[in-house]
This record gives sequence, structure tokens and C-alpha cells, in this order.
Amino acid sequence: MGFCGWFGKTLRVNLSTGIITEENIGQKVLSDWIGGRGIGAWVVAGEVPACCDPLGEENKLVFATGPLTGAGVPGAGRFSASAKSPLTGTILDSNAGGRWGIRLKKNGYDMLIIEGTSAGPVYLKIEEGTASLHEAGDLWGADVRETNDKLKDKLGNETSIACIGPAGENLVKFASVMNDGHRALGRGGLGAVMGAKKLKAVAAKGSRKVEVANKEKFDFMIYEAGKWLKANPITSQGLPEFGTPVLVKLFNALGVFPTRNFQGSQYPDALNISGETIAELMTAGRKGCYGCPVQCARLLKTKTGTTLGPEYESIWALGPECGIGDLDTIVEANHLCNQLGLDTVSTGVTIGCTMELEEKGIFNTGLSFGDTTGMLRAIKQIAYREGDGDLLAEGSRRLAERCGAGQYAMQVKGLELTAYDPRGLQGMGLGFATSNRGGCHLRAYMAGPEALGVPKMVDRFSAGGKAGLTITQQNVSAAIDSLIACRFINLAVSEEYFARILSAVTGVDYQTQDLHRIGERIWNLERLFNLREGFDCSHDTLPPRLLEEPIQEGPSSGSVVELKPMLEEYYRFRGWNESGVPSPGKLRELGLEDFKC
Amino acid sequence: MLKDFQTFGRDLFLAGLNSSHSGNLSVRCGDRIVITRRGAMLGHLEERDLIETGLDKNDSNIILASTEIRVHRAIYKGTAALAVVHAHPVHAIALSLLEDEIIPLDSEGAYLLHKIPVLSAEHTIGSQELEEKLPSLLKEYKIVMVRGHGSFATGQLLEEAYQWTSSLENICRIIHITRALKGEVKDKRSSKYKEW
Ligand code: SF4
Repeated sequence: MGFCGWFGKTLRVNLSTGIITEENIGQKVLSDWIGGRGIGAWVVAGEVPACCDPLGEENKLVFATGPLTGAGVPGAGRFSASAKSPLTGTILDSNAGGRWGIRLKKNGYDMLIIEGTSAGPVYLKIEEGTASLHEAGDLWGADVRETNDKLKDKLGNETSIACIGPAGENLVKFASVMNDGHRALGRGGLGAVMGAKKLKAVAAKGSRKVEVANKEKFDFMIYEAGKWLKANPITSQGLPEFGTPVLVKLFNALGVFPTRNFQGSQYPDALNISGETIAELMTAGRKGCYGCPVQCARLLKTKTGTTLGPEYESIWALGPECGIGDLDTIVEANHLCNQLGLDTVSTGVTIGCTMELEEKGIFNTGLSFGDTTGMLRAIKQIAYREGDGDLLAEGSRRLAERCGAGQYAMQVKGLELTAYDPRGLQGMGLGFATSNRGGCHLRAYMAGPEALGVPKMVDRFSAGGKAGLTITQQNVSAAIDSLIACRFINLAVSEEYFARILSAVTGVDYQTQDLHRIGERIWNLERLFNLREGFDCSHDTLPPRLLEEPIQEGPSSGSVVELKPMLEEYYRFRGWNESGVPSPGKLRELGLEDFKC
Repeated sequence: MLKDFQTFGRDLFLAGLNSSHSGNLSVRCGDRIVITRRGAMLGHLEERDLIETGLDKNDSNIILASTEIRVHRAIYKGTAALAVVHAHPVHAIALSLLEDEIIPLDSEGAYLLHKIPVLSAEHTIGSQELEEKLPSLLKEYKIVMVRGHGSFATGQLLEEAYQWTSSLENICRIIHITRALKGEVKDKRSSKYKEW
């Protein structure tokens, strides 16, 4: 097999020694783990020592592209980064669009591994297959826009920048890595990992062509997939016109749009912050990832200029989750988080938690629900670890536990939950509880079948039958995150298409079932890593509020998450024992028997 | 309104005019449209399967609407219809692969529909081409076949659009059976409808 889609090369950069090497990646590794999240998990699980400090020298940061990156597949211009998370202590990956991933790949690398720690601030330049480290003292302290501008001035407009802001430098546990100015590897604190390594930015520029094995089949599959993207109202109308904020009104109407740190589940003024209102009042244009026809990002007019608009999760986290419904404030808070390099979701949920602690008289910060000025101030304090911001910068779990009130942190395994109240979406509850990177909606996205009818509509209030469906969704997501393709595209184009496109690009014969199996292997490896780090079945749970306090009003009133029966079924269906440990037989079946946990 | 959707959705399925998850129904209410949810089972419609959105203007419900919504919208904008039924009647689909128009042989079919045009399009599902071509045909004909895909029927009520769909399939069954019998068709009236 020759390499098509992949280059079969890793660039390894040791920041402690300054040594930069190029390595080959075996064909079996590529075909078994594909790229992105899969190959990232393979490196992190294999190379990061057990129980190491995520902000220490031993943690590694793996940037990975996939075989589809740069091959001209709509929605597949993405890349991912993986490491041990400083926020959760679990294995972590996050992926983003933009151009950076394509430009890294066009240097002839599928993967970039960063290890060690630099003595002082540096940036890494990768240009046409040559990599070099450069002193970055003048960039340290700069926000994302300034870093981007300064590096682009120096290196040219054809260079893409992935960088951290002050939050990453200050080791905020949920600092993001920002690429191409506004794209975020948001969740889990990859920005802090970069900050701890004193790596301010990675600049990439490249022009190598990504070869496709079977052009005829490839063209046909792109044509076929294009038909579905055009036909499906999600990708042809909803996302292009409203972006992800299209979900605000829908989930609010279902009574699963959490407010005030999950104390409520419907926001009375949701229409004011909905996709419809943003489109009418603020939208100045559409943007999106390179080569994607959907272009789901919104360019918004603000009082001070233009900015990329908040996504659904950010609107919620910086809005109703904090009791805030003022659109201008939400847009400003989103912009601030992006410039400082903060994950909008964890920022908002941690502030929401602080507001509830204030409300209950547990932690006196003067920050109350609905306080717009206070929220904007808190965001800056978090990024610079000033005053109470120093504690908030540790995330909601550590914050609430230090106040002796851990139950008020809306998180799973330390990662803050997102904009779906699982009490009205049972499968989302199971998905959150079992997610390998903590409270993430995207690992299973059970809101697809439970609210959007993708792939089929199921009863959102029923716990029955959710375990099997959640497992399938998790496995498929792990595979799609490895190709690496956009999950919005996956709402209109099924994994069957991706298997065929992958075969056409790589020349390796993949069937749908192979993607499921690869996804299952990734999921189990991530589980093994977490078990090794001390996580067990007691961590597969939800905040007590979601298990014990029924939703008070609205269309989902009266429900709590019925986690226990779903979880028992889940472990059984996964081939894990009742403590959530994969059986030796399952590990053999997946080729993971050599991994030590 | 739910009751009407349930009645005709179920009848379409039971009559074999749709498979389990195919087809869609809509009605126009002023500048709004109510359409079946993408992927809904017409034989088992529930409240959550009826999606209301703008006739011209999208709102967030668009992401739940049937894949064919753009064609339904175009039909409402280009005709006086208040209801649209899109179905996949098998005999009619088979015939549409062979013919450019379907001329009823039976007198009831001829009386009701006279002639059913067959429209060809490269993309047939949620397609811009159909959006452009179907409304003008549906101004003149009660029901139109899209080659190899299915039928679009209009009416003032869902019942009416359902009736044309049911009649079309009967017409096509009779044509199939007649052709299978291989005899000479003695009644020549149908040829008159060629110019309809
Ligand atoms: S749908 Fe949006 S996020 Fe996904 S690839 Fe396209 S522009 Fe990027």
C-alpha cells in the first residue's frame, strides 16, 4: 500500500532540548487509528507516563490531522490536539476548523508531537517541511489577535497561527488554543498545556498536495455527499442562515435549555438571544472552514466593529447559564474569551457556579446572576488570575469543592457541562456521564436522536434503549473525529459516505462497520487511559441536582436523569464489567491487550 | 390539523403509496407552512412530527423540517394550493421510468386527472431544479410525477391532494396490468388526453 491521504510522517519537537526530528508512522498505525483523535489517543496513551502532572514536562501535546484533511472533502479541513487534561486529569482531545490543520498537513506531516518544556517563551515555525523554534518573549502577554497579527506580519499572510492568549500563559485550567484568529480548541485546557511548555504559538505554512488514491470514486462520492448537504435543511438552510444559534429556540422550547447554573430549564427571553434575532439585528456576513459549503460561522456587527459571533454553547454559557439575556454582553464576553484564550463554556459555567455560591451565601464574591458588568470583569480576572479569578481559573469543580459545596459544580469528571439539561434528554445524561473527556455533549450527541431526529427520533424521556444507541453514537463520533470531519456535516451525511470517501482517498478498503470498530477501539483506549489515571465507575456520574431534583416547570417538568439502569446496561453492552473495566476478551478483540492500566 | 395529517399519512402508508419513512405532507396557513418532520413515519404521526416554519422566511424550526420543504414552499408560492402531498407510489414510479407522460386508460382516471406529466431532474430530493420546474406544471395539472422519484399533488385540503395521489396509483396499476395482459386495448378514448 502506498500512502494516499496520509504522508506517514510525524514531526517531533522537544522543547527541553530543542531537538526536532522527523519520524515515520507505520501503515498499520494509520489504518487502525486513522488520524485526529484516534492517533492522538494512541500517542498520549502510549507515551504520556502514568499519573504525570498535566502541566509538567512529561505531558505531551499532539496535533494531528486526518487522511481527509486537505484532500478537498467538504467539512474535513480540521485538525485535533490531544494531551492529558489539566482540568480533568483525563485523556483529552479537541478539534477545530479553519486553515491551520490543512497548512500543517501540507508540510507533509500527519502529526506534530510537542514534548518537554522550554526554558523561555518560544514559537514554532513550520514552513514547507522545515521546522524551527524561535524566541517569543515579545509575544508573551499578547492576546490572540495581537499574537496573530504580529506573527502574520513577520511570516506572511499565507501562514496560519495556532496560539494561546494570556489565559494559557497563566495556566488557567480551561485555557484554549486559538487558531486562525477565531477558531478554538476550546475544551479541557490545552491552552494551559501549551502555556506550561512556554510555547506561545505554532505557525504553519505548506503547499504539498494531498494525493487521492481513487480520483473517480472520490469525485463521485463528493458529488453524492454534496447532494445531501444541499438537500438537508440543516446544512442547506438552518446552519448557513442562523449558525449554531439556530438551536437556542428549539432547545428552549423543549424545556432543556439550562439557566442559572442548571436551576431552571427554560429562559423566558430566549428569543432575544436566538439565531433568528442575531440574524436580523447583528449578522454582517457568513464565515466558515476552508472549503466547506455550509459556512456556519456568523460575522456580527457590534458597537465597536465586527466580531465572529458566539456559537450556541457560548451564547448559553455566557448568557442564561449566568442569568444573562443581554445579547451585546454575550457577544462581548465571547469576544473577550476568544482574545484572552479561554474556553467559553467552562468560563460561563464556572461563573454561573460562582453566582449560585454567592446566592446561597457560600462564597462571597459580589457576583450575582444577571450581573453583566461583573461577568465581564470576572472573565478578565480569570485570564490573569487576579483576585477571586485565581480560584475560578481552576474550574467549577475545584472552586466548589474548596467552598465545601462540590454539588453545585455542573461538571462531569471536572469538565463543565454544556447547553442541554439531560433531565429532559435521558440519553444526553448517559452520554455526559460516560464521556471520556468529562461533561462533553459531542462525544455521543444524543440530542441528535432525542431532539433533532438524526438519525431517527426517539423518545427523549425514556431511559429504555438508550445504552446501545449512546454506544453507537460514541463509537461513530470517535471515528469521525479521527478522519477528521465536521460533526455538523455528519448530521446530513452518514458515516457510510465517510467510509466510502475515506476508502477513495486512502486506497484502503473501509466499510461502515470498520469505522464503528475503529471508534470502539479509540473509546476503549481512552477508557484504559482514564482507569490508569485513577478514574473508575464512581466518576461515571452527574451532578446530584440532575439525578435528584426534578425540573420544576415547562415541557420537561418532573423528570430527573435515570442514570443507574442506563449505566448498568451501558457497561454490559460495552463488554465491560460492573465496575466499568473492559474485559480481557473485549481488549483482545480490539487489539488493546498490551495496554497497561 | 394533527388529525388530518394522521389520517392521510396513515392512509398513504397503508395503501402502499409510501414506504415506512418516505413521503411528506404540508399545508399552507397564510405566510406559514406546516410540514412533516424530516424522517417522520407518515403512518404514525405525532404532534412532534408537525413542524411549522415560514413560507418565505426561515426560522429555527427549519432544521427539523422535511428535506422537501423547499419544493413545498415553491409550490405554494407558485400556485393557489393550500395542501401538498408528496408520495412514492410504486406503480407510478415504475411507469415514470418509461414514459414522458402518463395517460390513464380507465375512465375514472381519465375523468379525474386526464394526463399526468413526468418531469425529469438530475437531483430529485430537496432539489432546486424541482423548485423551479414543478410549480408551473402544478398550475395546470393536479399531480405531477418526478421520474424515478415520486408524485407531488396539490389541493385546497390534504384530502384532495391525497385523492389525486391515490387515483394516480390506481391509473398506473391498471396500465401495468393491461400491459401485462398483452392484448389490444379496445377503448381508444385515452389517446384524446395526449393533448390535455
Ligand atoms: S459546518 Fe461549519 S464548522 Fe463544520 S466544517 Fe462547515 S463551516 Fe466548519
